[in-house]
Amino acid sequence: MSTERTPPSERELWQSLATAPAVAPAAVSDMDFAAWLEGRLPEAAAAQVEAAVANDPAMRRAALELADILGMPLPAPPPRLAVRAQALVGFEAEKQAPRKSWLAGLFPAFGQGFGLHRGAMAGMAVVVAAVGFVLGGGLGETYAESKYASTAAPTIPKPFGRDTINDLNDLFSDNT
Amino acid sequence: MTELSQIDLQSLAAGHKRTWDAFVVAASPLINAVVRRTLANYRLSDDDVMDAAQDVFVRLCANGFRLLKTYDPARAGLSTWLAVVSRSAAIDFARRRRQATSPIDDVPESALAVEDRHVEKLKIPEGLLTERQTLILKCLYDDERDVAEVAQLLKIDAQTVRSTHHKALLRLREHFKEEAP
Repeated sequence: MSTERTPPSERELWQSLATAPAVAPAAVSDMDFAAWLEGRLPEAAAAQVEAAVANDPAMRRAALELADILGMPLPAPPPRLAVRAQALVGFEAEKQAPRKSWLAGLFPAFGQGFGLHRGAMAGMAVVVAAVGFVLGGGLGETYAESKYASTAAPTIPKPFGRDTINDLNDLFSDNT
Repeated sequence: MTELSQIDLQSLAAGHKRTWDAFVVAASPLINAVVRRTLANYRLSDDDVMDAAQDVFVRLCANGFRLLKTYDPARAGLSTWLAVVSRSAAIDFARRRRQATSPIDDVPESALAVEDRHVEKLKIPEGLLTERQTLILKCLYDDERDVAEVAQLLKIDAQTVRSTHHKALLRLREHFKEEAP
């Protein structure tokens, strides 16, 4: 009778062994994990990542899935994804922009040169006001003169009764 | 369409809208694929998956592009780094929403097996196997992956995986044969 035991199958052998290391491997950063996936790490650093991946089923699964995805053609994403993602940065930029006045909001076309426009408009307004003042002064003088002329021969209303009596006296004296 | 490798990273990290838009167009297929694959076992709606992908972009540009600025082009390609970041973000998203569920057929038998606590497993001594040998044996036996998948992961050919596997088993057999009474 042979005493030689049948060697266990490879899987059975592996499953009969405890593989957890005494000390848990250090955590792996995303950057290190990516470098390892690309095979860019030096041997010692790669061994550290491999120990961590071997010890963590979730990391093994991540590594296998990512290696698979990165090695195959990618399907087109839904167009909505890009539209929404692009809006993220535009929105931020708008939030960082200084607040505009309500007038600038009404006339967005003025934009950056609006200060210059405002200065020019103010200057024009001053010129118009000055011309208006000069013209307005001339008219005032004319008005004052005409008023003075009219007050030189005033038509004072006669009190009722006396005028009538005087007029009657004149009438009678003329007749006499 | 601009490729990811053509994106001006300085301009992107500075928050230039045009560069960001080009980056989004270039990165969307990868981020979408990684997020969908990662969340395949979570019972999430299409809208939730879309939100998870959007969450990756939010993370990238949040706090003045802080996450994006941690990327080092000298160490890894942008695609690989983005894939890693997208997967982490998707898992965080799913944890906030729901628990993962896996079809029972997809789970390796070893994960479902109820361990007999009375059976004491033999410990593999420190240093008997290299980290790579341990990783290959775990992928093949614990995760039930095939040799081609492991070769793709480790960027080596299938024959090298087989030979590393063979050498690892020889070492184990040698060691435990010596130990056996």
